[in-house]
Amino acid sequence: MLRTLLKKQLFEVFKGYFYDAKKNKMRSPLAIGAWIVFFFVIMVGLLGGMFLGLSFTLCGPLVAADMDWMYFLMMGGISILLGCFGSVYNTYTALYLAKDNDLLLSMPIPVRKIVGARLLNVYLMGTMYLLTVMIPMDIVYLMVSGVSALKLVCLFLLFFILSFFVLALSCLLGLFVAKISLKIKNKSFVTVAVTLLFIAGYYFFYFKAGFFIRDLLLHAQEYGEKIKGAAYVLYLFGLIGTGNIVCAIGFTVAVSVLVGFIWMRMLKSFSAIATATGRVKTEHYVEKKVKEKSIFGAMLSKELARFTSSPNYMLNCGLGILLIPASGVYFLLEAGEFMPLINEAIGERPQCATILVCMALCLLSSMNGMAAPSVSLEGKNLWISQSLPVKPWTALSAKAGLQIILTGIPMLLGSVMTAIGADASLGERVLLVLMPMVYVLFSGILDTVIAVKMPLLNWTNEIEPIKHSGGVFLAMFGGWAICVIFAACYMFFGYLVGNVIYMLIWTVIFAVLSIALAFWLKSKGTKEFAAL
Amino acid sequence: MLEIKHLTKTYGDKKAVDDLSLEIKEGEIFGFIGHNGAGKSTTLKSAVGILNFDEGDILIDGISMKTDPIRCKKDLAYIPDNPDLYDFMSGIKYLNFVGDIFEIPSELRNDRIGKYADLFEITDDLALPIAAYSHGMKQKLALISAWMHDPKLIIMDEPFVGLDPKSSHLLKEMMRLHCDKGGAIFFSTHVLEVAEKLCDKVAIINHGKLVKVGTMDEVKGDDTLEEVFLELEAV
Repeated sequence: MLRTLLKKQLFEVFKGYFYDAKKNKMRSPLAIGAWIVFFFVIMVGLLGGMFLGLSFTLCGPLVAADMDWMYFLMMGGISILLGCFGSVYNTYTALYLAKDNDLLLSMPIPVRKIVGARLLNVYLMGTMYLLTVMIPMDIVYLMVSGVSALKLVCLFLLFFILSFFVLALSCLLGLFVAKISLKIKNKSFVTVAVTLLFIAGYYFFYFKAGFFIRDLLLHAQEYGEKIKGAAYVLYLFGLIGTGNIVCAIGFTVAVSVLVGFIWMRMLKSFSAIATATGRVKTEHYVEKKVKEKSIFGAMLSKELARFTSSPNYMLNCGLGILLIPASGVYFLLEAGEFMPLINEAIGERPQCATILVCMALCLLSSMNGMAAPSVSLEGKNLWISQSLPVKPWTALSAKAGLQIILTGIPMLLGSVMTAIGADASLGERVLLVLMPMVYVLFSGILDTVIAVKMPLLNWTNEIEPIKHSGGVFLAMFGGWAICVIFAACYMFFGYLVGNVIYMLIWTVIFAVLSIALAFWLKSKGTKEFAAL
Repeated sequence: MLEIKHLTKTYGDKKAVDDLSLEIKEGEIFGFIGHNGAGKSTTLKSAVGILNFDEGDILIDGISMKTDPIRCKKDLAYIPDNPDLYDFMSGIKYLNFVGDIFEIPSELRNDRIGKYADLFEITDDLALPIAAYSHGMKQKLALISAWMHDPKLIIMDEPFVGLDPKSSHLLKEMMRLHCDKGGAIFFSTHVLEVAEKLCDKVAIINHGKLVKVGTMDEVKGDDTLEEVFLELEAV
């Protein structure tokens, strides 16, 4: 039974890779293989590559200083952060907000099996991220310090400890989010605010990582002594990977007890939380004059209401709303200083800083992809827009419109501030505003095209279309790839025409592509949307 | 008001509806009955423009759903068998959304919302999120949204499911009143007693094919509708 439930869980998570919802049939083995390869290239290539570099940076000097334990403490800490990052809401939504909770609870399935299957899913997702750190960490360590049977056993136990600790932490945080979600008003915004604080902290450490690593390597002995004095348990944790079997067994037992305790706690509270309706405001309807909206306005408001109702949606598809103006402020204050340094550092392309700043703005714009899952999110509500007298084009343009507005306004602010602060000519400053704005238009339409071409309508948890669907994946990474191509082309040959002409060419390309995609959306896309 | 001409709809190899023709005139309450999977919902969804169909045509007030779906949809309202409404909206926001789509002036909109919400006794709940509504409340909200723009034709799939007896009675009265004013209603039901008492005409569908259609007297003669239905099912 557990196997059946787990199979169902995993199929839901990776459904987009195996099942073509649009054609209502399984994908071909070739297509499945291509999707899986694409997924692994991103996971292993991007994340794994990043942590491989970090492992090489840390491992050699720390092992040479006889501080192997510090290496494992650092890398283990990063793997816990990465494993938990994003798993909190995953745990919350996967466990408590799944639409089939009532159905499963009504069946003769023991609650422990339902919770077990859901947790196994959370465990696998967390472990997937964890391994992108752990595999490079282990390989580099074994390469630097040599292989022994004891080390291999301890590294295996370290994997067990870390993966279950991540699970325990995700569960605790998920349980906490579930409990407060039942009590607070405006929980979507509160959840987003808390998460943003968490993300701000994450990015603070991320951007300061280089400084921290240098500082750590310079003062490794000093920090090591401090940790041994103030938090001896962290030192013992660090010893696990070095082959200390006593520490490995001790932590294995401790984590097993912790997981057992959390398991009991979750079993006890699962039914009550999963079936709770939350606190409903006892607000009585008072008739008031309503402001009439146009059909497009009504559809746009509906899209906005959906976006602001879901913390998952806002966090996964709308981070750019805050990051673009924040980067604008940063560029306003700092660009005048760091742009000349970049130009100097990359002496062969002495004007490339403007292009890189422009790329950064477009990259941040790609973090806003609210249009990409918007068709999938219609789900069982699709009948409403299909039966109402709304042209498919109006429905689709509202989806694109929301993304363009919610990205365009921050981008206008961010790009104007950047243009003011940038060390650039007048023409470059104008294009630093114009090109990102046209890119916003392009990505809004492109993401809507992706939404129509890759719908996922039969979901049981909104996290599937928002986080795990191929469409959202393609929209974000595809957007980033376009931005990288923009910068790479400049580095190879674009610099020959000068910055202004180069940016103008790309502005025109994005504008032409926007028109072409909008034309496709209006002619063929509307038919495909209507036929869903 | 509604003409369905030789409608054929297939899912893969299976013909869900096979060469079905019907006509529903102004002032008629038209019942549509058949076993589970007979093709009722497919016919209704095709009639409101949700499903594309393979052959035939559907005309609303003489206008083809194929050629001008928006014009057709302006004249009709649809209530599905399971009203999955926007959970992220409150009841009143949903009604105003529908009001905006049908371009109902705000004062008229408020009058109608107030009238029907009072009738269904959900006025106090309109400010609540739809996520907090029971199935019956969602059904009532869907009914209000259908009636509030005063459509010529109302198409409903199992409209009485989930309604309490008082609301069911109210709905029957509203249906009759709507048709007495010149509108038309086409609805599917499994409750044969309701169909027998309420409908002016009835059609029975079996495995996608229309097997009997006519006024209630023509269809059932001296028997009950249940007897006729079971007899046709057995064939």
